[in-house]
Amino acid sequence: MKKRINTLSLAVCLNLFLVACGGSSGGGKTIEPTEPVTEPPTPTPIVDHSGLTPLVADEISEQEYLAGGDATLFVANKDAFSTRPQAIADNFQHDGFFTSGDHLFRTPHSDIGPLLNTGTCQGCHENDGRGVVPKTPLDPMLSMLVKIGDDTGAADPVYGDQIQPFAEQSFTSADFDSGLSLHNGSVNGTELYGEAFPFVEYQMIEGKYPDGNGYQLRKPIYKVRDLSFGPFKADIHFSPRVAPQAFGVGLLAEIPAENILKLADENDANGDGISGRASMVTEAVSGQQKLGRFAYKAQNPTVLQQTAGAYNGDIGISTSVFSGEPCTEQQIACQMIAEQESKVGTEVDFTDRELALVEFYTRVLGVPARRGYDADNNLWQDDIKAGRQLFFASNCVGCHTPRHVTGIAPGSVLGQLTLTGLQDNAEPIAMLSEQTIFPYTDLLLHDMGGSCQVTRETIDQQVCHDDSEQCLYVQRCEGLADGLVQGDASGSEWKTPALWGLGLVQTVNPESTFLHDGRARTIEEAILWHGGEAQASKEAFMALSLTERQQLLAFLGSL
Amino acid sequence: MKFSSVTKISAALLMAMSLTACVDDGEDGAAGQAGAAGVNGTNGVSSFVTRDDVLKTNANIAYAAYADALISAQDLRDAVNELVAAPSEVTMTAAKQAWLAAREPYGQTEVYRFREGPIDALKADGTFEDGEGPEGKINAWPLGEAIIDYVEPVVDGDSGPESPANALADNIIANITEFPVINAETLTSTFEFGEDERNVTTGYHAIEFLLWGQDLNQDFAGAGPRDASGGQRPVSDYFTTPGSCTSGQMAADEQICQRRGQYLIAATELLIADLTPVVNAWAPGAGEHYQAFIAGGNVSLAKMLEGMGRLSFGELAGERINIALTTDSQEDEHSCFSDNTHRDIFLNAKGVQNTYNASYVRINGEVIEGASIHDLLVKEGHHELANELRGALESTMAAAAVIDTKAKTGTPFDVLIQQGIDQPNVVAVIDALVEQTDVIEQVIDALGVSTNDLRQDTEEDI
Repeated sequence: MKKRINTLSLAVCLNLFLVACGGSSGGGKTIEPTEPVTEPPTPTPIVDHSGLTPLVADEISEQEYLAGGDATLFVANKDAFSTRPQAIADNFQHDGFFTSGDHLFRTPHSDIGPLLNTGTCQGCHENDGRGVVPKTPLDPMLSMLVKIGDDTGAADPVYGDQIQPFAEQSFTSADFDSGLSLHNGSVNGTELYGEAFPFVEYQMIEGKYPDGNGYQLRKPIYKVRDLSFGPFKADIHFSPRVAPQAFGVGLLAEIPAENILKLADENDANGDGISGRASMVTEAVSGQQKLGRFAYKAQNPTVLQQTAGAYNGDIGISTSVFSGEPCTEQQIACQMIAEQESKVGTEVDFTDRELALVEFYTRVLGVPARRGYDADNNLWQDDIKAGRQLFFASNCVGCHTPRHVTGIAPGSVLGQLTLTGLQDNAEPIAMLSEQTIFPYTDLLLHDMGGSCQVTRETIDQQVCHDDSEQCLYVQRCEGLADGLVQGDASGSEWKTPALWGLGLVQTVNPESTFLHDGRARTIEEAILWHGGEAQASKEAFMALSLTERQQLLAFLGSL
Repeated sequence: MKFSSVTKISAALLMAMSLTACVDDGEDGAAGQAGAAGVNGTNGVSSFVTRDDVLKTNANIAYAAYADALISAQDLRDAVNELVAAPSEVTMTAAKQAWLAAREPYGQTEVYRFREGPIDALKADGTFEDGEGPEGKINAWPLGEAIIDYVEPVVDGDSGPESPANALADNIIANITEFPVINAETLTSTFEFGEDERNVTTGYHAIEFLLWGQDLNQDFAGAGPRDASGGQRPVSDYFTTPGSCTSGQMAADEQICQRRGQYLIAATELLIADLTPVVNAWAPGAGEHYQAFIAGGNVSLAKMLEGMGRLSFGELAGERINIALTTDSQEDEHSCFSDNTHRDIFLNAKGVQNTYNASYVRINGEVIEGASIHDLLVKEGHHELANELRGALESTMAAAAVIDTKAKTGTPFDVLIQQGIDQPNVVAVIDALVEQTDVIEQVIDALGVSTNDLRQDTEEDI
């Protein structure tokens, strides 16, 4: 493998040089170029959390358009989130593992369920991108899910920590509706239906910018009907979540935890109104406390745990990481069906090799390069440049930290992939190691404000107090809160999501929307929903002129 | 030990002039009569093989193989027309035979994938963009065949799309309201419906499904024990006289059988339409890609090796063999309806060997051969490596021949994979392909070509 050169111009020169002498990049005939120093020594010893010279508002570093370092892709169409980087394609083994991982990511597997949200990874991560909010209140949630918990965040004794709206027959028979939930349908313990039917209704909110321009936001009201296994716990909370885009996690996983912890400011010592907190979680395979990085409340520390957790909770596929089936002890009908799967008892549905392939695939998915940049002349579009300055000036960077570096990316803890099995001593993945990346997140928890209330109402909003079919569960929230305590995160705290690829979300899937529950139809709406610690930044955005707001959105669209 | 090639050639020229009648067996070298001035011979390989010669032969074979695929696709269309016009056991069998024959050359073209060639990159408007070529429309699999025609509710694997959200209401053949007319446009507009890669409505495997039907085994239940036969679609599925039409075990309205026939004809016409531009792009002399490729020097040579390596490891050993083996699902085998997967495996491997040896046997028996990578390696002094790759490719072909023979003698690939990762014959093919990929990597290094040369896209504005 040729060493990647950081400055493009040098790479060009080098290419010319290599071509001119008919040489090779691996034959040892040419002198291996030494890595140029990317960071010129600065007079001020000030460095950021990564040990690099801090980024500034009006100067764009030359690597900034290579959002994913060596894992950067130059694809800006519907495949932007599901493509292998050149570094993977260039290596026959990696290329092959990617292809197999992709197949498993897409393809329905046997032994899904018995209760589930969807049948494949692709089912929620459409085109490896974001999921979609149901079109009408009558449509089931196919690529979003609802997490549940009581006041303390503990799981519901009957339903667990997540509503699975389908039983497996929805995905394994020709009748998709056959697995939908049915009021008290599974209470008898012999027939299995989906757990419940969550749906969403929107209320329109009008608002105005200081300059007089109006806007409209969709405020979601979440309702749950048709509980197959009887009522929920009395103090239940609902947290609806749209599947996020899947790429880039392999790089986020390799940011040294100490660099993230340097960004934490739990007591707002610097007085900027922003107090990021690390989410510390238990790693399933080791039992150790680690920094949580993945999922909306940073409850997962590694790509492997995120992957295995999704297979288990969302698809009903057991693995060595989470070997149970998605049935609670009180769901007799679910356990009965689980016993009929082809792999039962100690045998898990998905071998470590298959899991390692999907883990590898998600780790190495490419990150789209920034658009609006002319690499030959190192020139950015004017509006993007101006928008970047406004992004800094509004202190969006207070949480959406633009730049990080990665350490050495170890191979899978499951072992080194080969086509027919796993071996010991997995090799590190060079493409993910020691990269400078631009994800725009600090991976920390922030209080975004708001609060929620759960009530029992009939479909025409009459208060009710019974467990009849007509008496629904309804959750109304102010602001971004979901009311669900999860690990270290409170009911109004969220992990800062990465912003890379933001401008391609609706290219990859035109139906996709923004924020954790897809309520925001545009990036602009997503900004307007910010509150709590982000209130000041949102107000700064709102105070901008129309032109400036468009510049800031052009910048976000170029990510 | 390295002479520059100039020295070698001039020395060889001298040798050739002075020793015209003498065959140099390559073992003289410094140990021969000429002492230190002696040169290693070239084992009968012409010293005049250049990289450009290798490229030209490779392009000539590409044209021949794709042309054969087109010729046999036209034969398939004729046979399908016969079947639809006069459905009988005889015409049905003839159509199936024509499909199997069409797969023979096509399988050997797959080594021309993964190298930014026309199959992967030629768009309908004649421009090239990698990943936007007709390959998917021609050869996509596995199918969620439920989008095309009736399926059994429970099968061995999955007959639906990747996500139920991407399922059509009913199937195209049965849904007369939504698809009143079945023609090429109908098939094209539903291809990968909902961005779902299992919604495959065109190409070889859609045609295969319409000829064979689902492989439900003897008990007509997808989950039952597998047998040595492929799908069991009855010929009555094409009977259009009132009262005779079926959909498998069920009676059906004759309109359904008519539509099925229209679908089959439209799919073969589309296959021809999709293959034709690929053949033209490779046409010696005139073809746009032909010209660009033979002028591409080391970049083109790297592409040849890249196609060999990526087909060997990721596509064939990984996707086409290993996934089916580990999931033990008929729906994950390449040609699951016809049980022709053993030929897919054999022919894909054969294509890699063809590229290395620069040799291809056309469907009419004519042999196309010329300057090969093997010759080039020998000429450039890598005798051992040349031999190693030749041997590795032969080992693969031997292992693939076992799968091929087992299928022809009553144990098809879908029966073998039931043993999973412990199936020695299938694992032997995977291992052989992994081994040959390692050697292909060494050859890339030895020839000093690098796929990094393909990395010019970072220069572009995006």
